Amino acid sequence: MTLNRLQHYHLPDSGNAVIDLLEKYPDEAMIVAGGTFVHGLAARGLVSHVEALIDVSRLGLNFVRTDEGRLWIGATTTFRELLESPEIAGQPLFGAIRDALSWPPPQVRNAATIGGCVAAACPFFDMPVALLALAGAVSAQGRSGVREVPLQEFYDGLFENTLKADEFVIDMSVPLPTGRAASAFAKLETNANDLAILNAAVLVSAGSGGTCDMARVFVGGGVGETPVRSRAAEEVLIGNALTAEHFVAAGEAARNEIDPLDDHRASAAYRKAMTAVYVQRVLEKAAARLRA
Amino acid sequence: MSTELKIIGTNVTRPDAHDKVTGGKNYPVNFSLPGMLHTGILRSPYAHAKIVSIDTTEAEKLPGVKAVLTPDDVPQRPFTPVYFVPAQARSMVQDFVIMSDTVRWVGQPVAAVAAVSPEVAAQALELIDVEYDELPAVFDPEEAVGEGAPRLWEHAEDNIAKHAKFEAGDLEAGFAEADHVFEGCYQTQRVHTCYMEPRVCVAEADSRGRIKILSSMQHSFGLREKLAFALGIPESDVNVIKPDYIGGGFGGKLDIGFIEPIASLLALKTGRPVRAQHTRAEDFISTTRNPIKVYLKTGVKNDGTFTARYIKSVLDCGAHATHGSEVIMVHGLYGTFFPWNCPNQTWEGYTVYTNNMIGGGYRGYGAPQGCFAVESQNDEICEKLGLDPIEFRLKNTWREGDPHPVLPGHELNTYRLQECLEQGAERSGFRNRGKAGSGSGIRKRGIGFACHPLWVSGCVGFPDIYEHAGATVKLNRDGTADVVSACVDIGSGQNTMLTQVVAEELSLAADRVRLVYADTDTAPFDAPTHASRATYSAGTATRAAAVAAKKRLFQAAAAVMEANADDLELRDGKVAVKGDPSTAVPMTDIIERAESPFIQTTEDGPAPTTLAEKGTIIGTASMAPPSNPSPCAAEFVEVEVDTETGEVDVLNVVYAHDIGRVFHPKSAEGQVEGGFQQGMGYALMEHIVFDPDTGACLTGDFLDYKMPTAVEMPRNIESIFIESIEPTGPFGAKSLSEMCIIVPAPAIANAIYNAVGVRVKDLPITPEKILRELGRL
Amino acid sequence: MKELLTIEVNGERHEVAIEKSDSLARVLRDRLGMTATKRGCDTGGCGCCTVLVDGRAVYSCMTFAKAVGERKVTTVEGLVREGELDPLQQAFIDADAVQCGYCTCGMMMAARQLLDENPDPSEDEIRKGISGNLCRCTGYSKIVDAIQLAAAAGRPA
Repeated sequence: MTLNRLQHYHLPDSGNAVIDLLEKYPDEAMIVAGGTFVHGLAARGLVSHVEALIDVSRLGLNFVRTDEGRLWIGATTTFRELLESPEIAGQPLFGAIRDALSWPPPQVRNAATIGGCVAAACPFFDMPVALLALAGAVSAQGRSGVREVPLQEFYDGLFENTLKADEFVIDMSVPLPTGRAASAFAKLETNANDLAILNAAVLVSAGSGGTCDMARVFVGGGVGETPVRSRAAEEVLIGNALTAEHFVAAGEAARNEIDPLDDHRASAAYRKAMTAVYVQRVLEKAAARLRA
Repeated sequence: MSTELKIIGTNVTRPDAHDKVTGGKNYPVNFSLPGMLHTGILRSPYAHAKIVSIDTTEAEKLPGVKAVLTPDDVPQRPFTPVYFVPAQARSMVQDFVIMSDTVRWVGQPVAAVAAVSPEVAAQALELIDVEYDELPAVFDPEEAVGEGAPRLWEHAEDNIAKHAKFEAGDLEAGFAEADHVFEGCYQTQRVHTCYMEPRVCVAEADSRGRIKILSSMQHSFGLREKLAFALGIPESDVNVIKPDYIGGGFGGKLDIGFIEPIASLLALKTGRPVRAQHTRAEDFISTTRNPIKVYLKTGVKNDGTFTARYIKSVLDCGAHATHGSEVIMVHGLYGTFFPWNCPNQTWEGYTVYTNNMIGGGYRGYGAPQGCFAVESQNDEICEKLGLDPIEFRLKNTWREGDPHPVLPGHELNTYRLQECLEQGAERSGFRNRGKAGSGSGIRKRGIGFACHPLWVSGCVGFPDIYEHAGATVKLNRDGTADVVSACVDIGSGQNTMLTQVVAEELSLAADRVRLVYADTDTAPFDAPTHASRATYSAGTATRAAAVAAKKRLFQAAAAVMEANADDLELRDGKVAVKGDPSTAVPMTDIIERAESPFIQTTEDGPAPTTLAEKGTIIGTASMAPPSNPSPCAAEFVEVEVDTETGEVDVLNVVYAHDIGRVFHPKSAEGQVEGGFQQGMGYALMEHIVFDPDTGACLTGDFLDYKMPTAVEMPRNIESIFIESIEPTGPFGAKSLSEMCIIVPAPAIANAIYNAVGVRVKDLPITPEKILRELGRL
Repeated sequence: MKELLTIEVNGERHEVAIEKSDSLARVLRDRLGMTATKRGCDTGGCGCCTVLVDGRAVYSCMTFAKAVGERKVTTVEGLVREGELDPLQQAFIDADAVQCGYCTCGMMMAARQLLDENPDPSEDEIRKGISGNLCRCTGYSKIVDAIQLAAAAGRPA
């Protein structure tokens, strides 16, 4: 019971109404949709300042569509809606999204929203890492309109994002590369209903000769306060064949590049070692999708 | 004997299953009374501090707050909160009060409020202003006994709450005789029982100050005794209502909680019923399995015969001794010393105070910690000396007919460890396993096992522990039987077992027997549902009550049938002269007649009956069981280890157990499967972690405290029950529950060793520890 | 300050006074007296509070009551139809999947969604389907058996 100060539960029906409420409670409001993260925070005393919840699930923001060369995911689209969406079905490009969404139990998949998962800026979440690998961006709506924020510029530390006080997330988008590309995600966890001890996602594409011409490698789950991009791993891959030896080398490069957290769930040393293993394993998975 | 049994040994439908699948209205968590208030408990943020002042003025002003409790309102009567011993038992340490002016662990109650809703109660807690004077704290038991360590209690020099020692033979001579000496240190962690229903109670005081309370405890009479003591009122002024069932216990509900006395005091103060319920975070800091560090030194001959063993066990009991002074004894006696036949042994145990949270009872009660140490080292010995691990165990344990190693005057009447080991080995493919670490590839498989040669069916023979049980059985005119028993069903099927006993004895269908309302005002005493005792102990007493009812039935029948009561028998619901089915009379006729008017008007006019046949057919028994027979068990586990990540998959489990008599095959399997879930969690992942600087719990919910879900559990868990038919047990029964959690951790550790050739000696065996042992970190 | 909420549970509409912070579990248990939905952890970790909202399993302890809106809530109280147990309820009894039983109601609701969407699930699918529900008594074996039994028995007519 640590939502003790909660006085208001708002269900606005327009973006402007959300902005009005954000301005009305500059420091005391919290946006919710699926509600799957609030109570965990509450039990840890992290939302005892919240006086108003702003539920954005009535804004019509649950959609998945492809246009303008991008995949668009509405902020209140649930994990399940996205997982079942024909837009991402079967495509190697969206493998990482499907992987990440397959991990949680049904109760979370049915309720948790993509926007909430991205905006929460929790370093142990899965979708942010998958979307970072896919070069995703966030659309934030505020008093001055809608702006695009590349996901890489969105995170600003533990539970911190770069949204302005009057802004909230309305959708996420992912560019559709012109060439053939594949992504994959994997997660290390203790049981099947766990936050990641470590997770990793990659996006790779290859030219006609099988040489890697693009790679994005991200590691999350406590390797830092926000997910970390391993450019060293990407450099190992680009220009080389997508083969096991380069996956191992990329894993090693990623391991050497990160400086993970040390907490009661895993030591920094273990997270470093797992970075090598997981980067290698997701690369194998993505490459297999590319070949398929 | 078994051919005659009709109910025992069959999968009768659990009497409470229908209720539970349709909503389970009768869990304590669902109990409420009109006008009931709700409790909030303010807990210490410091691990060690003196309370300077508590200001409750603002909290009392908050609308909806009806009463506030501080240490000044609480009787300062130190006692031991363990249900199954007297509050002042000499073998225990009396250091427990409900609230005091000194806090010794993060989470200790400091104040409490009763309010019209849980929300108001929570708000009121924020308005209580407590000033603390912080004191130095100590969290490691070995540091706590060292020089200059902060001292927790006046009565405990060096912070030692209890020190015990057992010796046999000549230790020095035994080690001199050894061809090899093995030494190791084995550490277990603090874990929680994780019953699914949070601890909860509702207390009410009548106008004379008499308390009526319903709680999610495992023992009604223990609650009556401890609550009366804590409040300083006569025991007869407390009536504990037994819940029909509770949402799990596993030993975690064997202490009086803080909530029961707090709710009772608030009920007395307000004159209204008061409910108190734990949050999950509060449950995680209320009773746990004590961590024990075991130093183990063993001397063996070349052929594997033990010559000497020295064992030192250091138990971290946290801020109060509670169960710690008993767990250490059971750990010593039944967890390490007496299970093994070693001529020269010394065991020393230390229960040490720290500023950690308190310990408690947890299924296995000291034995999982001991078995992990001993069976890990036994595996090391066999590996090093190239001995057959099964022959090695048999060489150093007991035989059927041996004197009971712990209980003078008792024998191991039934004892089939050899069959457990051989059948388990056969079914698991143990004999075909590879050499340790010999597999190839990233994922390596291994098979290992552990056994536990000695355990209990209750507490007969232990000092200061209640063991007697009782029941009343009443036959109704419609041919059903009502059973009054204070034995609490904690999920493992006590209600089913008691119905089976009565149905079998009175030749009724199982669904004709009902467990009915029971409280401590009306039911005979029964010890807690703990120590694998319910079937053996409560089953014995309940059978005796059924036999007494049957005797009464035969007395009435004798008058009606003009026969001798001693010549009668009860079969298929009919009373008949033995060997003469033509005399059979339905038992319902006898029961009806016994409760009918003395003179009845019939077609032929008034017809008097006899005095001898009159009166309700009822029987009561209250007694201690005759012995404490030992079950024994072995578990074989196959694992697969990912040598890159250290992750362990448990693939197959074969568990073999000398149980005496199987009452309910599916329930028995359920004990094994559920025990394995807990044992596997203990072995691989579960761990209550504290902030090393502040002593605050970091694993206060299931996001941080991880236990196996259906996904991690092995697909195959095979149970083999060796029915040795114990002559002292009800229908031949011994016991089952606890052994199922004692053996999994060492079995898994030994299987991991077989898979990858490395051994982790501190639980939980996390992927990280395996990787470190593999030299990959 | 309380406010009035209209909510449909098991086909029946209720008007009920709630606090703004009330979870669906709080409303069901404490405002409507429907206690089949259990409270076990309040943080979406144990699954005892699982109910269906528009046929989909959710943790009712994490679902704000005000967010439910027009959607239909189904609890264990709604599984019995015309006095007949749901095949899952019967299967949990028959397979001896109920020990302490505190997880049972949430477990059955997770299983209900699974079987509604996948009438013939594999063992792995069953285990994944109940991975959001903890049980401390059974080791899940008999629960998996029960769900397989219910799948075999098929949906109610």
